[in-house]
Parts: sequence; structure tokens; C-alpha cells
Amino acid sequence: MKHQGLEFISGLPDAPLAMPKQVLERRRTSMFGALRAMIAAFPRFSA
Amino acid sequence: MSRPILIRTIALLIAALASVGGAWLYYRYIAADAPVWLDSARAVLFLLTSFWLVWGGTTGVIGALSRAPKGVAGPVTAPSGLTAILVPIYNEDPAATFSRIAAMNRSLIAEGIAERFHFAILSDSTSLEVAAQEAVWFERLVREPMSEGRVFYRRRERNIGKKAGNVEDFISRSGAAYAYALILDADSLMDGATIGRMALRMDADEQLGLLQTVPEVIRAETIFGRLMAFSSAYLSPYFARGQALMQRQEGPYWGHNAIVRVSAFAASCGLPVLSGKPPYGGHILSHDYVEAALLARAGWKVELDPTLGGSFEEGPENLIEYAKRDRRWCQGNLQHRRLIAAPGLKFWSRFTFVQGIMAYMASPLWLLLLVTSLIAASIPDQRWWVQHDDAMWVLAAAVAVALLLPKVTILVRGALDGRNGQFGGTLRVALGVLGEIALSTLLAPIMLCLQSKAVLEILLGLDGGWPATRRDETRVEFGVAFAASWWIVVTGAVTLAVAIALAPGLVPWLLPVTVPAIAAPLLMGLTSLSPKVRWLFGTAAERRPTEVMLLQQRIHENWTMQGPDLPEAGLRADGHVLA
Repeated sequence: MKHQGLEFISGLPDAPLAMPKQVLERRRTSMFGALRAMIAAFPRFSA
Repeated sequence: MSRPILIRTIALLIAALASVGGAWLYYRYIAADAPVWLDSARAVLFLLTSFWLVWGGTTGVIGALSRAPKGVAGPVTAPSGLTAILVPIYNEDPAATFSRIAAMNRSLIAEGIAERFHFAILSDSTSLEVAAQEAVWFERLVREPMSEGRVFYRRRERNIGKKAGNVEDFISRSGAAYAYALILDADSLMDGATIGRMALRMDADEQLGLLQTVPEVIRAETIFGRLMAFSSAYLSPYFARGQALMQRQEGPYWGHNAIVRVSAFAASCGLPVLSGKPPYGGHILSHDYVEAALLARAGWKVELDPTLGGSFEEGPENLIEYAKRDRRWCQGNLQHRRLIAAPGLKFWSRFTFVQGIMAYMASPLWLLLLVTSLIAASIPDQRWWVQHDDAMWVLAAAVAVALLLPKVTILVRGALDGRNGQFGGTLRVALGVLGEIALSTLLAPIMLCLQSKAVLEILLGLDGGWPATRRDETRVEFGVAFAASWWIVVTGAVTLAVAIALAPGLVPWLLPVTVPAIAAPLLMGLTSLSPKVRWLFGTAAERRPTEVMLLQQRIHENWTMQGPDLPEAGLRADGHVLA
């Protein structure tokens, strides 16, 4: 019997605890990324 | 200035002054005859390699000279926090692993605190045959006393994130049920009293995020294994004490035989997948150092306590298994170069990453020093050793002091405070230390080559992955040893031949490096044998095994003699579900 990708479970408590991913790498902003962010900041007009 | 910062500063100054002074002396001698650019390069290499040599020795001397910390004694009471004892396994021998769990369980029962500890076996085994055996032996394990509702087994189909991912999977499913988690390896064994004391320390100090013990290697059978066990039992505690004095609350985590505060670990230690491909990108291999750094970053105390005895593990029994494990650690440590500049880390965490990287980079640097020395020797007017033979002796003596001083200090300390008695007396221990020095010196050139190869492979972008440790591998046949080390033989022979041709005066100095390299297959094979005489490299745990060690041995013998009973199919009355 499979359950959520586990083939064999044996009564472990159902007590979830979040484990958020930590930031370990500094973000490197590329020119392209900066340009995209600027364009995204402009208001958009629909036809 | 706080005491740890003062001790760190003193140790760093000693290492810096000794290495700069040594490099200056070295440069003075080698550049005496018409200095060339190679002399500057060699002096820099000497500086870099000798700094870490002296740094390591200083840590040992500080530990050996420090006042003995007071250990905690007396009866153990039930801690208030509930602890999950996590045993991540990956294609291990289930009978051996589960017998250790059974022994620890009985040890906790004997202390009267078992109800505050649960066991969770977290399997990432990829072999279906091993997984089937795990299910069978788990059924045997849950017949142990007080196991109902306290002993669990879970197997993942995909081992995403390897061991770190395995633990994270447990925490994300069941972590909120536990205050603490004692993280073990498959070969870990701990006294119930020690486990209890660790949980009580977590109860007593709300800021303590992680407490690491100094595991002692036990059950070593071969010459190589016994060498490692003796070193870990007799020498390592003092090096660990020196480390603890410097690291204080930014201590190390070695991935096992340590207890963590689950809420702190969950909030602080979720490891991302690094950008790019392995070996530098992908999942973080040596996750333990990073998790320790992240806990310290979040303001939690991470402490190493060398006084907590009753913490054991088993080690590789031959040089080949050691090299496989070392390759994994090498890749993991070199990957940390991506994290030295990670945001928010404490200074000592960053230094620990650098230290871990240099532990492996030192080998190719020493090799480069050797090569550049031979190249320099081929230049006609660079025969400085002929006129400055005394200089070679001074430098050799300095290196010997850096290597031997901590071990001699530990030996003398043990004679004065009576610790040598636990190992059979000062004479026996002195012979053990001499044997350790002799054997380590013989094996050092082989380790140098193996580590240099590992570093080169990683720098070329070759991912070594995570090969399973074969814990029951002992004897290495000559053919296997030769296949693993023929290139070391060639390296040693070529080096010796070049020295004979270009710089015959240097040959005596190169023999301690080249002869063991040429004899690598023989040394690998011989050190994998089990000695009949066992008084050399004897440890305190071997002379007087603890109760949990004897328990585990008895349980394992009984289980393997009787075999597991086959489980009944379907649903058990207590609600355990079989696949």
C-alpha cells in the first residue's frame, strides 16, 4: 500500500511542522532582470 | 573581550606567526642562490600549508592544557520535552542497525526514562531486497519491550535531498509532536543515560539549539580501523576540547550523535537547492556544517560537549572505504565555498567553512610544493640544500614539532591526571601514540594523493555523488588494492626517478613520501588485516565495554542466530500497516 510516496509507514504522528527554505545565496541582479523589473513597474493600459 | 574570542585570537596569532616565520626562514634559505620566481611561489605554498598544520596542532595543545571541564554525573530524570530519536538509513544491514536501536531502547528503559523517547527509523533504501529485510527485522524490533507506540519505521521511495532531505521529510510530517530530535547514523550507539542528559540540557537551556557529542569509534577489527579508533578515543577528545573552547556557542554539528531543538531546527535549517549543477550546485552534501551555521545565524546556541561520554559510532575498516567517505566529505566541504559569503552568518561559521575547505585543499598544495621544489632543483644554480643542509633539518624539526607537540602534550597530561590508566597505562598508551605516529606517517602520502585526486576531480566539475558506505567491508585483497592505487605507485616512482636524475641530494628527504606511495597497494592490504595481538591501539571502551555495547552485542548475536520471525500479512492489531 502506498501513501503519499511512502511505501511503508508505521504510525508516525501526524504533526506537520513547516521548514521554510533559508536564503544562502545573494541575489545577483542582471541588467535584463533590472530592465524587466522597471518595465513591470509601469502602469498597463488595456485596449 | 570574551574568553572564546581571546582563545581564538591567541590560536590564530600563534598559527600566523609560526607560519609567516617559517615561510620567511624557508624563503631565506631557498632564495640564497639567485632567487627565482619559483622561490616566491614555494614560500607562499609553504605559508599556506604550514598555517593549517600549526592551527590544527594549536587546537590540540589548547585542549590538552585546558582545565578538565566538569562532566555531569548522578541519576538521570525524565526530561519534560519529548524526543524523537531519528535513525536515517540507506541500504544498511538492518539486523545490525535495529539491534543498536533495541539496545538503546533497553538502556533507556533501565534508566526509567524510556517513555520520553521515541524511535523513528527513516529509510531511504533504494535496494528492494534491503527494504524487504528492513520490514522483516522491524517486525522483530517491535517485539522489544515498550516498543508499542514508540518505535516507528518509514521508507521514502525517492531520497530527495539525501540525509538532510530525509530528516526534513520527518520534521515536515511529524516534527510538531516533538520538542527535540536526537539525530543518529545507522552505526551510532548511545548510552541511555547520555541520551537522557542531553535532553535534560535542552530542557534547562531554552537558547540551546543543538548539542553535539564527540563520538568514539568502537568495534574496529583491522589495523586501520583500530588506528582510527585509538585516535578518536585517546586524541580526539582533547582536540575537541580545544575546539569547544574556541567555538563556544558557534560550535560544530557533525550530522549524528547530536540533539537538536526541533522548532529551532525547523525554523532555521531548511536547506535550499543551490543554483547550478553539482559538484558546487544542487543539494548541499555536507549539510551538517551549514545547519550549525544557520542555527547560529538565527541566534541559537550550538555547543560541543566533549565531557558527554557514552556516544559511539563505527568507522571504516580500510583505506578504500575511508577514501570513499572522504571523497564525499571533500565534495561537501568544497561546495561550502559558495556559502562563505552567505548573508547573516557569524564570523566563526564562515571561518569553519574555510577551515573545512582547507582541510582538503592542503593536500594538493603540499603536492604542488613538492613539484615546484623538484622543478627548482632542476635549475643548475638552485642547489641551496647543498650549502644549507642545516636549514632542511631546522624546517623538518619545525614540521615535526607542529605534528608531534599536541600528541606529546596529551600523553603527558594523561600520565599526570591518570587518564592513561583507562587505556592500559602510560607505557601502553605511549606505544600506541608512537604506533599512531608511525602508521599515520606511512599512510600520509597515500592520503595526500587520494585527497589531491578528489580535489582535482571536483575542481574539474566531476560529481562524486553519495556512494553508500559498506560498513562490513574489512579485508582488502592485493588485486583490489592495486586497482585502487596503481596511479599512486606510478606517482611515487616517477617522483623518485626525477629526484634521482635532477637532485640526488634531495632523495633522502623524499624517501618518506615516495616509498610509502610506491608501496601503497601493500600498505592498503596489510592495514586491512585483523591483528591477532590487540594490546596496541587498545581503547577504554574495548577494555571495559559499556552496558549498551554489551547489550547490542548480545541482541545482535541472538537475532542472527534465531533469525527474525516472518511477520503476518495484512493489518496488525496495533494498527501498523504493511505494504
